[in-house]
Amino acid sequence: MPDRRETLSWLLRALALSAAPIAGTERAGARILRPGAGGAPGAEGYGRDPSLLHPHIPWPSILTPPQKGAVARLADVFLPEHGASPAASALGVPDFVDEWVSAPYPQQQRDRIVVLQGLTDLERDAGAPIGELDARQAEDLVARLHARAAAGAAPEGRFFRRFRQICLIGYYTTPAGVAQLGYVGYQPSARFAGPPPQVLAKLGIEPGG
Amino acid sequence: MAAEPFDVIVVGSGAAGGTAAHALTGAGARVCLLEAGRSYDPGRETPMFQRTAAAPLRDAGTPDKPFGFYDATVDGGWELPEEPFATAPGTEFRWFRARMLGGRTNHWGRVALRYANHDFKAYSRDGLGADWPFTYDEFAPWYDRAERLVGVFGSNPGLPDQPDSPPGCLQPPPVPRSHELLIMAGGRRLGRPVVPSHTAVITQPIDGRLACFYATPCLRGCSIRANFQSTTVLLPPARATGRLTTLTHAQAYEIEMAPDGRARGVHYLDRLTHRHHFIPGRAVMLGASAMESVRLLLNSRSTQFPDGIGADSGLLGRGVMDSTGSNVWGQFPQMENLPPFNDDGVWLPHVYIPWWAWPEQRAGRLPFTRGYHLELYGGRLEPSADTFDFLDDVSPLTYGRRLKEEAQRYYGSFVRLSQRGEMIAREHNRVQIDPVLRDQWGIPSLRFDVRFSDQELRQTAHAQQSMAEFIEAAGGKLVTPLPRNPAEAILPPGRIIHEVGGARTGVDPARSVTDPFGRVWGVPNLYVIDGAVFPSSAHKNPTLTIVAFASRASEHLRKALRHA
Repeated sequence: MPDRRETLSWLLRALALSAAPIAGTERAGARILRPGAGGAPGAEGYGRDPSLLHPHIPWPSILTPPQKGAVARLADVFLPEHGASPAASALGVPDFVDEWVSAPYPQQQRDRIVVLQGLTDLERDAGAPIGELDARQAEDLVARLHARAAAGAAPEGRFFRRFRQICLIGYYTTPAGVAQLGYVGYQPSARFAGPPPQVLAKLGIEPGG
Repeated sequence: MAAEPFDVIVVGSGAAGGTAAHALTGAGARVCLLEAGRSYDPGRETPMFQRTAAAPLRDAGTPDKPFGFYDATVDGGWELPEEPFATAPGTEFRWFRARMLGGRTNHWGRVALRYANHDFKAYSRDGLGADWPFTYDEFAPWYDRAERLVGVFGSNPGLPDQPDSPPGCLQPPPVPRSHELLIMAGGRRLGRPVVPSHTAVITQPIDGRLACFYATPCLRGCSIRANFQSTTVLLPPARATGRLTTLTHAQAYEIEMAPDGRARGVHYLDRLTHRHHFIPGRAVMLGASAMESVRLLLNSRSTQFPDGIGADSGLLGRGVMDSTGSNVWGQFPQMENLPPFNDDGVWLPHVYIPWWAWPEQRAGRLPFTRGYHLELYGGRLEPSADTFDFLDDVSPLTYGRRLKEEAQRYYGSFVRLSQRGEMIAREHNRVQIDPVLRDQWGIPSLRFDVRFSDQELRQTAHAQQSMAEFIEAAGGKLVTPLPRNPAEAILPPGRIIHEVGGARTGVDPARSVTDPFGRVWGVPNLYVIDGAVFPSSAHKNPTLTIVAFASRASEHLRKALRHA
């Protein structure tokens, strides 16, 4: 059977990070948030049998307003407004980052630690609440983060990668993000025609070949 | 309920149990189907057109829903805390379970390949594992029937490792998608075939089912019944006969034997009320999934069978297999920045790479004796939580406007090749009843002791190399270098969810657990009809063979009931 990349990478990450402070939740399932993991006490996942037609997120958000403001400022540097392409905060990315790091699942709990620690470190660097920085200051802050990550600093690299990844998911799964990537689908039709000629040409494949 | 005179008690409602219920009710038998999970109605419950943006965590896999929020599996997963299992020290086993009507047919890859004669008779060739008790020619009519029942698209290219189907069995395959065309071109350069997959999705309407409409992800299930699920294809017609009684939340835990050596019926526990029940039947069929059927046999101890029903040969629980699996990801520059176009197709792969080196292997020129095939996954699928898994590899530490350009550039340009290979049945790879561990209902749990051998590792090394060759021949680049050691590439046993074996079928009661029709030796009215009977497991995904075997066993039982 096909497996989905996310599952494999989840497993790989679960193995690779099994020494992380909140390891151990994998085996116990997602119902129990270990004390001290930093989330809402007793937060539960959606369970193994949630309503798929009426999705509901049962866990409370954990980010404070200043943390959320910081996430918005940074997300807009990672994915800024450009022409018709909106900034991350215009597509709800800060809410999604909050949803993600608040979730009582192993990957998300690991990301929570990375993100919260990263925000703390960045705020120390900024010398002011990140949410109150102006656009230029926020860009400088991310430029310094980038430089340290590029120089091989582990905590900065980890934060950069995970924060970027969560922002990408939050951005490009929205209708506006999907449109920017050019995904076309969910269109029932009687026939499947295969790729159009201009795509075949770009791939170097003869039609019918 | 217990007063109802049932002809057959079927345990499990997936590929095996669903097939038996369909065949036997159709032949006039009164069937009681026991399903441990809840009822499930794909017509009402399938999130066909729900979009990723509306799902928690954007449909990312979690321990609650390992294949994504919208995945068809409900109340299942890798780890069910109330149903634990053990593994022997130093070993690993992953066991995916679906506690729902239709079992794992609701979520599966739907690859439906016939075994070849050399797959049924591999032991005769290399002396490893055990042969099946019949030849391809003897079994082929059941494949014909299974393909028509399930609905399989595919083609008959006349390959040595892929038996052709007779006319009228297969449906026309869909045309290849963009990434599949690239891999096909790579195959031509390598002189290796890339051909239409055999996949349990219909492209033409049959039996009142609509054909695929080339939209929405298959693994969420299919409310138009274009793909094969027990709950859409097998159970509705069985129900329509008026002879099917379905009990959900019914956890079978023991088969009771009568003094005359026949099975009397099945003890089960109602998971909701926690009450114990017994249901008698003239015959019992086990299709609870390979490992659950074995567990049920092992847990059915009596004076006649002190170690469990079917344990006389010492082989019950032995010869557990999965498919081998490993992946290689390629990135294709030609697929960067493609113009938008609909690339959904049937969502599952349209083509696959059959085992091309069988002639070479038969001649003994490869360092492993069993084959593999390669599946390919890619294309411009709906953006999801895993769309950018590899951006860190191809565009590390980019951000800002550049990151947006990179996201658009790389979207849809990755292809995953996946090895699915044969794991050899070895008697030391086994499940037993754990001496202490029980599930939350007090039913003794399984303990797995399953390891790969050098055979599987050498096969995986070959497959990894081959996948890299395909990617490069097709003009792609490896996203990450191949691991030096195949042990780092091979996924743990159980991970491919093709676990089979443990109650193998054979001709010799001393060397098998069931007869060639799945009847437990010595118990003429007790059949094992699921993957547990596999004496060997070709690289070809097991479901089609399970359906064919269960269909054949049901026909055998139908005749026996008529004669009784």
